[in-house]
Amino acid sequence: MTPTYDDQANRILRALGGVDNIVEIEPCTTRLRSEVKDPGAVDQPALRAAGAHGVVVSGRVVQIVIGPSVDVLASELEDLM
Amino acid sequence: MAPDYKHVRVRDYLRGLVAHELTVGDTIPSERELCERFGVSRMTVRQAIDALVNEGLLHREQGRGTFVAPARTDMELRLVGFGDDMRRRGMTPSTELLDAETVEAPWDVAESLELDPGAAVHHVQRLGWADGRPMALEETWIPASRFPDLLDGAPDGFPESLYAAFRDHGHDPDWGEDTVAASDASAHEAELLRLGTARTVLRIARRTFAGQVACAFSRSCYRADRYTLWVPLTAPNPVVTPRPQPLVTTTPGSTGTTQEVRR
Repeated sequence: MTPTYDDQANRILRALGGVDNIVEIEPCTTRLRSEVKDPGAVDQPALRAAGAHGVVVSGRVVQIVIGPSVDVLASELEDLM
Repeated sequence: MAPDYKHVRVRDYLRGLVAHELTVGDTIPSERELCERFGVSRMTVRQAIDALVNEGLLHREQGRGTFVAPARTDMELRLVGFGDDMRRRGMTPSTELLDAETVEAPWDVAESLELDPGAAVHHVQRLGWADGRPMALEETWIPASRFPDLLDGAPDGFPESLYAAFRDHGHDPDWGEDTVAASDASAHEAELLRLGTARTVLRIARRTFAGQVACAFSRSCYRADRYTLWVPLTAPNPVVTPRPQPLVTTTPGSTGTTQEVRR
């Protein structure tokens, strides 16, 4: 089942290495684009388990495929940060 | 002295003619007329015309002349199937089913459809026609577990629209992602798409979702001389950044900024 947004936001933040690892996060229509300090601290299987439909890592940029609910998720993340 | 690209002047003149004075099917001025008008060699004129033929703006028929090619209608990509996309562009579509069978999902397909490797998928190959000419070659994989009876009527009773078939099964496609790249067609693709000397195609890989359910993964190649994408642009969304924590300690001589301090 799909986790609730709140829960999903927590799990995604943890899988990205926590608030300390985040430089910025931007919602992009169907994806969450995030820039992290240390890509090695990103747990891709955990992102998948949190409901991501795909994860694309390039350098320090991590793109997480979420779908149209990405806007809601981004505002939940903002509250957590 | 700056190099004089005479063929560029001829090319831009022709481009203006096509845009403002000529219509589809009209012949362009003869090579001789163009040579005289611009005081250039026949080779220069041919260079200009070749460029526009390659671009798809002009269409050359051996022994008959050079004509204004049908316009490519650009269109914002939407989550619709081939038939609806063509109708939205003002063309009449038809679809030719080349192959339909249930197979084990290849590794990349399984990943795109969020299935275990080797899971059963319907593999469908279709040639899309628009206004009586080939437009796109499309290969689609669909999870067999979600749409078990999809191929039952094939070939004659195969659904004209896959998206409509998904809706009939209770999965209404509402979002997806396309990845677009350009390359040359393979010999097989060129034959099916009836490509001439221009071999460039647009390759579109698409994942189609209904809510959280991955319904289809497809790889299509579109004739680049007949298909253009229109991408609306907006400024990036505001980014979310971690809130800086109030400064807790200061060391003597420090500037006291909070820049590096994060919760």
